[in-house]
Amino acid sequence: MAYQLYRNTTLGNSLQESLDELIQTQQITPQLALQVLLQFDKAINTALANRVRNRVNFKGSLNTYRFCDNVWTFVLNDVEFREVTDLVKVDKVKIVACDGKNTGNAAE
Amino acid sequence: METSGRIATTPDALDFTVENVEKGLHQLYYDPNIENKNLAQKWLMQAQVSPQAWQFCWALLSPDKVPEIQYFGASALHTKISRYWSDIPSDQYETLKTQLFSQIACFSSGSKMVLTRLCVALASLALNTMPEVWPGAVPEMVRVFQEEGGGVDGRARCLALLELLTVLPEEFQTSRMPQYRKGQVRGALGREWGSVCPLLQQLLRQGDSPGAVKSRVLRCLSSWVLLDVPLSESEGLVEDCFTALPDPELFDTAVEAIVNAISQPDSQRYVNTLLKLVPQVLSLQEQLREAVQNGDMETSHGICRIAVALGENHSRALLEQVEHWQGFLALVNMIMFCTGIPGHYPVNETTSSLTLTFWYTLQDDIMSFDCERQAVYLQVYRPVYFQLVDVLLHKAQFPSDQEYASWSSDEKEQFRIYRVDISDTLMYVYEMLGAELLSNLYEKLGRILTNTEQASSWQHTEALLYGFQSIAETIDVNYSDVIPGLIGLLLRININNVQLADTVMFTIGALAEWLADHPVMLSSVLPLVLQALGNPDLSISSVSTLKKICRECKYDLPPYASNIVAVSREVLSKQIHKTSQCMWLMQALGFLLSALHVEEILRNLHSLITPYIQQLEKLADETPNPSNKLAIIHILGLLSNLFTTLDISKQEDESGESTAPPVKTAPLPPGPNPVVVVLQQVFALIQTVLSKWLNDSQVVEAVCAIFEKSVKTLLHDFAPMVSQLSEMLGQMYSTIPQASALDLTRQMVHIFARETDHFPPIKALFDLVTSVTLSIFQQGPRDHPDIVDSFMQLQAQALKRKPDLFLSESLDVKAVFHCGLLSLKFPEAPTVKSTCLFFTELLPRCSDVPPVARVVQENGKLLLQAVLEAIGGGSSRSLMEQFAEVLFSLNKHCFPLLTVWLKEALQAQGFPSTRVTTEQKDTFTQQILRERVNKRRMKDIVKEFTLVCRGLHGTEYAAEYCL
Repeated sequence: MAYQLYRNTTLGNSLQESLDELIQTQQITPQLALQVLLQFDKAINTALANRVRNRVNFKGSLNTYRFCDNVWTFVLNDVEFREVTDLVKVDKVKIVACDGKNTGNAAE
Repeated sequence: METSGRIATTPDALDFTVENVEKGLHQLYYDPNIENKNLAQKWLMQAQVSPQAWQFCWALLSPDKVPEIQYFGASALHTKISRYWSDIPSDQYETLKTQLFSQIACFSSGSKMVLTRLCVALASLALNTMPEVWPGAVPEMVRVFQEEGGGVDGRARCLALLELLTVLPEEFQTSRMPQYRKGQVRGALGREWGSVCPLLQQLLRQGDSPGAVKSRVLRCLSSWVLLDVPLSESEGLVEDCFTALPDPELFDTAVEAIVNAISQPDSQRYVNTLLKLVPQVLSLQEQLREAVQNGDMETSHGICRIAVALGENHSRALLEQVEHWQGFLALVNMIMFCTGIPGHYPVNETTSSLTLTFWYTLQDDIMSFDCERQAVYLQVYRPVYFQLVDVLLHKAQFPSDQEYASWSSDEKEQFRIYRVDISDTLMYVYEMLGAELLSNLYEKLGRILTNTEQASSWQHTEALLYGFQSIAETIDVNYSDVIPGLIGLLLRININNVQLADTVMFTIGALAEWLADHPVMLSSVLPLVLQALGNPDLSISSVSTLKKICRECKYDLPPYASNIVAVSREVLSKQIHKTSQCMWLMQALGFLLSALHVEEILRNLHSLITPYIQQLEKLADETPNPSNKLAIIHILGLLSNLFTTLDISKQEDESGESTAPPVKTAPLPPGPNPVVVVLQQVFALIQTVLSKWLNDSQVVEAVCAIFEKSVKTLLHDFAPMVSQLSEMLGQMYSTIPQASALDLTRQMVHIFARETDHFPPIKALFDLVTSVTLSIFQQGPRDHPDIVDSFMQLQAQALKRKPDLFLSESLDVKAVFHCGLLSLKFPEAPTVKSTCLFFTELLPRCSDVPPVARVVQENGKLLLQAVLEAIGGGSSRSLMEQFAEVLFSLNKHCFPLLTVWLKEALQAQGFPSTRVTTEQKDTFTQQILRERVNKRRMKDIVKEFTLVCRGLHGTEYAAEYCL
């Protein structure tokens, strides 16, 4: 199973906009658009699992957390993100995390 | 070919006969013209779903046709059965089934791809009819294929049956059926396992079964275990898979089947079976060792997958079987062997990376036990994890220089990734092993660095330091007592290699926070860092380390400040570093200077930036050309980066122990802020530069960046420059409008518009940029979506911070409103978002800003029309929330008018979309007018309506849309 959370990214949104347009102008069917979207889910899950190893550290105070349907959600306050070169301070951050192992399976 | 080309284009094209389909296929496969191919493809897809498909598919399967044609027949059959099942009258189910059986029998010795398609078609039929109409589907399949006859030999029939049984669960996994039906069919399939299992077992155990049959049996097993068949019931078969492993022909499929069976989430319930699997997995160690010795990567990889699957999925269950602790420990050691498999990743082996997640899982499981049990397990597993650290650090070692040089860049990148994974694992392991891990690493490092008899390799030293760095980078190492010793050792390292030097630098960087608490050690490490600063090969590591130290330890750095500034000046003037490192270096210096006395800051600032000011003066005199443009942007960038971090306001509150983010309310030192002093001194020069480069957006951007960064850091300290900067911005913008100038204006409005003293210059600037932008709109704003975006944001900010700006006589509110209407129709999403924000800020002002109220009253209907048009399909669906906000705001602040406008606007036929009926529009109107409190609900209504307008309502695609 490939996670769908990456649809709400710049890349995912742009894809959906294009698909919408193609459906509205009757160039593709909604069924085909759905297949494209599912393929996008697979591809981006695999790519993020296997091709990215950048690391960012962060610390902050944990406001709330929950674990529901295998999805972790953390809301953090006063967070400092540290990359090798930069420090970014943010008042509030919401982290949504899913088990990366599942996406590995999906990639196979 | 011409005749077949006609098929797809002429009116009789819908004549889906066998002959036409064959012609279409010929065209699809062999026509050199891509357009004809596409036409044929489209036509064939229509043919496949047409009612006639039920007739022509059988004819296409005739034995005298070529496989491509037969395949299309089988595929059409599957499409019809899976998607148009309701076409078939129930009294014909039986005939269809019999026909399919007989076709499969025919093709069991024919084309494999056609056979598979036919099996999938029959599987789909079975899924549509089980369990009520076709109870016992699987026994019937088995029986039919076991019957002699049809002139087909037994082996072919057996393979066909296995193919059918393999695709049945797969078809179930991919089929789309309602949830309730899915549960029903899953249950029925689960019961069928009772017939499949003995058959597979029999075929696998028969000594005379050919390899091809056994391999198919294993694939079939893989397919069925994914349905969650109880592990206890597949136990015997899984054991048989282990027996198949020594056979190279069956190895891959057997591994797949075992891993699939073990990894089923449900399998953890069968602890006894799992316990029986442990010795089986352990028995593979011999085969594993042999494979490793012979460099047989496929075999070692496969065996490792099995061991990891068992360990990773069931460590908790197996750990709890205390009486079997030795078996599990042996499995852990087997996985350790896989982690430490000889050779360098990824060139000599790719197996070790498979094991890393296992170590996380095992650690999590151990740490989740209650204290008492945890202590028992830790006694056994702490030594294992210490061993793991050794193994990982060994694997993290760089190969010899010669070997590394022979690697491709891709291999080097993979190795880097692998080291990051190891680093993450070490960081996690630290949670379990604690400070002892650091002492352990320290001792090892000490031993190799002080051993005078045997020189150690740089790779070994580097790996140990890498381990330190991995941990210190994220974890507070304050309570470890080995750090002073480590720093002592760092100084002893004979740095004769770039990778080693990099790691030394990064390790020092990782200790920056520790150094802030132990400033006495700064004098030892700073010389190392400053020396490295002069080496272009160490550019990234040395500059980032200096930046970390300056950020964390600035209050202890004043004694070293002049030295750091001097070295930095030198490396900057020698142009050792690339642009981005120069920028980091300036940020580092900004931090450093922030902690000095004002007069010291000024002295250092002058010595630091005077050469650049002189250079800039020279550049400003030259005729603009591409090379001096880059030089100008570089210098301006250096200044902005310096001013980003140079912040004296934090001196007071950060020197305290407070861990909260600094609040900028501390009393400021008397006298002007040194940044302001410098900015005022260079202001004239910047104006000169601007005068020559005004139409270059990059230079203007770089100038704006200096002030933007300074304003952000200085906040109210920036006050002395407000009128000067407002004037300059106004001049800049009226000559050549640029988005960056508007952004800076917005920031000024944000900070200073509410202050009486600064209101006049801000107001003048606001009026000016607004009227200039309005003239852009008159000339056609489509070429400047960035300016429009920034303009809308500026207007929204003004409405929010200081609505009085809209009371001005010189501000044409109506014109701004109309610009907003135009901007709503832009294709650029960010611009539309900003415009929606502008309107949501504008509408509440109807109550307190009369000019706004007038304009909305007279022109609000146009706004509503624009919003409806966007919802009707004119704008991207991802923007619907923003449009819903505007509607909500209209509803809340202009309710009586909205009621009339909505009625009038939606009266027009085909507006906002031809797809919505009058009733749907009426419902929408009612829903909108009712929703004056719940914004979420308003968004839902708009999203629902937009789907109807776009013809997407009720489609699965729209349901999957996550926005």
